[in-house]
Amino acid sequence: MPVQFDDEKLEQVQHLIEHYPQKKAAIGDVLYLAQKQFGHITPEVEIYIASLLDLPASYVHQVVTFYVMYLQKPVGRHLIMLCDNVSCLLCGAEDLVARIREKLGIGPGETTPDNKFTLWTVECLGACEMAPNLLLDEKFHGNLTPEKLDRILDEAE
Amino acid sequence: MADEKKMVRVTIDGSQYEFAEGTTVLEAAKSVGIAIPHYCYHPGLSIAGACRMCLVEIEKIPKLQIACYMTVADGMAVQTKNERVKKARKAMLEFHLVNHPLDCPVCDQAGECGLQIYYMQHGLYISRVRENKVKKTKKAVPIGPHVMLDQERCILCSRCVRFCNEVPKTSELGFFSRGDREIVDVFPGRQIDNPYSMNVIDICPVGALLSKEFRFKTRVWYLESALSVCPRCSRGCNIFIDFNLRRPWKNDGRRLSRLRPRQNDQVNKWWMCDEGRLSVGFVDDDDRIETPLMRNGGELEETGWKEALEVAAGQLKKCSANQDMEVAVLVSGWAANEELYLLRRLLAECLPGARVAFTVAGNFAPSEDKILRKADKNPNTTGAGLLGLTDSSKEVMTAGDLREMAAAGKIGALVIFYHDPAGYPQTYGQGWAEALGKVGSLIYVGTNSCATSQQAAIVLPAAAFAEREGTVTNFEGMVQLQNRAFGPLGESLPGWEIVQRLGVALGGNFKYSCAEGIFDELAQKVEAFKGLDYRKIGPQGCKVKTY
Amino acid sequence: MARVKLISRFFEIQDSHLLPIYEASGGYASARRVVTENWPADKIISTVKASNLRGLGGAGFPTGMKWSFVPKDHPGPRYLVVNADESEPGTFKDRQILLNAPHLLLEGAIIAALSFGAEDAYIYVRGEYYEPVRIMEAALEDAEHAGYIGRNIFGSGRTLRFHLHRGAGAYICGEETALLSSLEGFKGWPKLKPPFPAVKGLFGKPTIINNVETLSYVPIVIEKGPEYFAGLGIERNGGARLFGVSGHVKRPGVYELPLGTPMKELIYEHCGGLHQDRKLKAVIPGGSSCPVLTPEEAETVNLDFDSLAKIGSMLGSGGLIVMDDRTDLVRVLHRICKFYSYESCGQCTPCREGTGWITRIMTRIVEGHGTSQDLDDLVDIAQMIMGNTICPLGDAAAMPVISFLTKFRAEFEKAVKPSKKSLMSEPVGA
Repeated sequence: MPVQFDDEKLEQVQHLIEHYPQKKAAIGDVLYLAQKQFGHITPEVEIYIASLLDLPASYVHQVVTFYVMYLQKPVGRHLIMLCDNVSCLLCGAEDLVARIREKLGIGPGETTPDNKFTLWTVECLGACEMAPNLLLDEKFHGNLTPEKLDRILDEAE
Repeated sequence: MADEKKMVRVTIDGSQYEFAEGTTVLEAAKSVGIAIPHYCYHPGLSIAGACRMCLVEIEKIPKLQIACYMTVADGMAVQTKNERVKKARKAMLEFHLVNHPLDCPVCDQAGECGLQIYYMQHGLYISRVRENKVKKTKKAVPIGPHVMLDQERCILCSRCVRFCNEVPKTSELGFFSRGDREIVDVFPGRQIDNPYSMNVIDICPVGALLSKEFRFKTRVWYLESALSVCPRCSRGCNIFIDFNLRRPWKNDGRRLSRLRPRQNDQVNKWWMCDEGRLSVGFVDDDDRIETPLMRNGGELEETGWKEALEVAAGQLKKCSANQDMEVAVLVSGWAANEELYLLRRLLAECLPGARVAFTVAGNFAPSEDKILRKADKNPNTTGAGLLGLTDSSKEVMTAGDLREMAAAGKIGALVIFYHDPAGYPQTYGQGWAEALGKVGSLIYVGTNSCATSQQAAIVLPAAAFAEREGTVTNFEGMVQLQNRAFGPLGESLPGWEIVQRLGVALGGNFKYSCAEGIFDELAQKVEAFKGLDYRKIGPQGCKVKTY
Repeated sequence: MARVKLISRFFEIQDSHLLPIYEASGGYASARRVVTENWPADKIISTVKASNLRGLGGAGFPTGMKWSFVPKDHPGPRYLVVNADESEPGTFKDRQILLNAPHLLLEGAIIAALSFGAEDAYIYVRGEYYEPVRIMEAALEDAEHAGYIGRNIFGSGRTLRFHLHRGAGAYICGEETALLSSLEGFKGWPKLKPPFPAVKGLFGKPTIINNVETLSYVPIVIEKGPEYFAGLGIERNGGARLFGVSGHVKRPGVYELPLGTPMKELIYEHCGGLHQDRKLKAVIPGGSSCPVLTPEEAETVNLDFDSLAKIGSMLGSGGLIVMDDRTDLVRVLHRICKFYSYESCGQCTPCREGTGWITRIMTRIVEGHGTSQDLDDLVDIAQMIMGNTICPLGDAAAMPVISFLTKFRAEFEKAVKPSKKSLMSEPVGA
């Protein structure tokens, strides 16, 4: 499949560019758009985006490798971003990591064999009053216990 | 005057100075002989402020400031070597070394390494790193036709990245990832292959970017340097010739180890092109002609200068006297001003009827860009022009016309200086081999054996540019001095001396003992060069009057 | 002291993120006043100056004064940037505002933009805040539809376009110049200063970057008057702010209190004290970058910029992390060090190499192979990072190391072996 945006996406790119006085400032949102379509950002995707925004390919690669949320490798169908920074650590994040290892057989950085879940331990998600917390795909879950975690994982398709 | 910079008074380490407003503390200190250590700063590139080696104390400012970015202000007091600065400097150096691999025994940069040098000057501490160092993927991996990368040695000063962005503007390099996992690299699957790629090797303070060609050839402390000018094109980039005479068993016995650019704000700034850097292998190639050669029977045989010159002179005189045959000389922009001046005298005084031809064609494709490279691949076309020996003068013909004459059997004796038209039809045109075959007596003056020299009756070996002193004039009229790095190979002689001996053999009066003597006379006799001498030319060159 | 309900009243109103509800509670009245009464820029600035409102993202710089730094004669454009990249561990107040009072933020941003002539405002929200982004997108649409932002705001003929920009997972983008680099379409690399953003910022133009909470107080300052706001707090430390408390307390959450409130009161009264009635061991007062406090310090200090600075710490982002007596402080410091080395942008050497080095030493210590020499080295390394970096992340990484090791040295000594004098510690020829 060729790496390309359809007309609708190209229109979206144009719309994004219009928010800034310089084309390249739209790179952040264009990368998110590309990630939604292609799953993760490969060198081919970077070359394509470079051509859309008149940038050197190495420039795009610098941006992609700098930010955590641009995926350079594919992840499972569901990405678990579990915080284990100070407040969540103080409030039981390690129990949740252990529970995931018990239930899904994976540790941080790993994906289940059926490609359903990938687990990342991440930095502070900005919801410390509900520690421990996680993001499952784009949905936030706080005040977690191992039991509540079980329910959330079971409900995920 | 309106654009005269305001001067400000600044104290550095207790002494008062005056500097132009807008000067950075680092440059100001440098101008008065105070060296502030730095890695990421380079005068030819944008300021990064990343290495933090140049931190200095500025009175009334609580935090130490980087000298490469801070500009001088009236009344500023700078301390570059008090205890606080020394402690910080040592700490910054320590940070650079935390993850640096102990590669010195196998690293080419040893001896000219920024970390080694500053460690000896500002470090001298015992390492307290008790951890495993951060490992990076690419160790000793070629990332371009000429550049080797070692990511672990990289101190992430960003000079190479900024260079590729700002000079050739090709942006092949980038810093990927973040924190101490950060690496310098090319885009996956791509190369650093712009025509100036090897400059990153010079500016890299450590052994992260190294020359493939020079790799493991010689330790740099065996090298000596001569100041010279690149002979590859009419830009005349200033260079250092780094040569090795002390360890002749290294590098296949090659004397010339490498070229490095030398700063000249008017000519090449801080850079040189890869082509120039890599085009001087001929100086030590096996096909260097080391003795005069004369054709005996079918073969070229070694002979002595006396005999070769006598025979050559004899053939030139005989042809000169013959009404039906022409004597011709094909002049080259490879010759230095001194040699060309003597040739002009020889032609006027000893071979008055001789036909002179000139061409800028050479052995190299005429690549050109807006950065440094010029299509004219001769270092001294302008010098030849100022001396009346190029086809801009009415009396000089093109090489094409010469070939026609030769093909028609009209050339009785032809002296070719440095050109190899038989070997390079793509630049000189077709038909040279046949045409030369019809020349009565072909005399070749040059450094390396080639198709043209193979057809000659007499071959006179010349010294390469690195083996003789001489001046060349670049396309903008800058006269620059090429110094002699090492002696001519075998019995080869500097070009001017060959012309002198030939002139003497032809009965002329030539009594020069050195190139400088010739230049002094040239400067008196040729209007454009009036007032110049080797001292005035110095290491940075001097413009001729007419430019 | 009693809790105040200036910003936080919106956290208790159902659907306060929706425009009609916001307006029904008096929303957009201040912005409307400032625009329709044609307040000159100077009046806006002097009003906010008089309120003593200070930057609530961490640096605490007086807000009105910051706005006055934009050169008046610059041809423009000028930009307002809203820093919603809240990523400081222990901080979660801006999220509350984005979820529950997005229009309050917009209203404050409108007034701020008018104080220095910005016609474009960028809201930089951290990438992980999916829900706040959705809510803000809707709020922007509604506000534009109502004519409060975009063209002809409040019928005045003036323009103020808002642009939402998502981050992508980099704490450093909360630092204002790194945020600008990111917004301009590159890595979050902090810039060398000077020039300062107010003079030369986003895309090279005069730019003011303000935190979400700071801007959210602006309409309140206009509505209730600067004297009221200043009067809530103490001298030079205006008004109130949102304090976020997390960790080992009974009632973690956001508490809006006047500046100057004793920390003891916040922890024991409003948050109900330590969970399971345990004893206090340590408190991080304003996000993980701030030097940690001992129980004695925590129970005697007041929550304001100056009081915390006086004892060598910071009010920062107002995010308190409370730790009980079972907490392993060595592991807490280790986790904090891991955070900074992971988030270091890598641009300058002391932070890039130093944070990684510190973390690896801490890892060795938690794995049981540390010595007391390591503890001395950690403090020394941290001190050599402080003040020598391009941006404050280096300082933020160093301060926890120095404060934990200074104030809780005994606990760290228990975690390591005493160091033998190594043969390697003297030069061979000494």
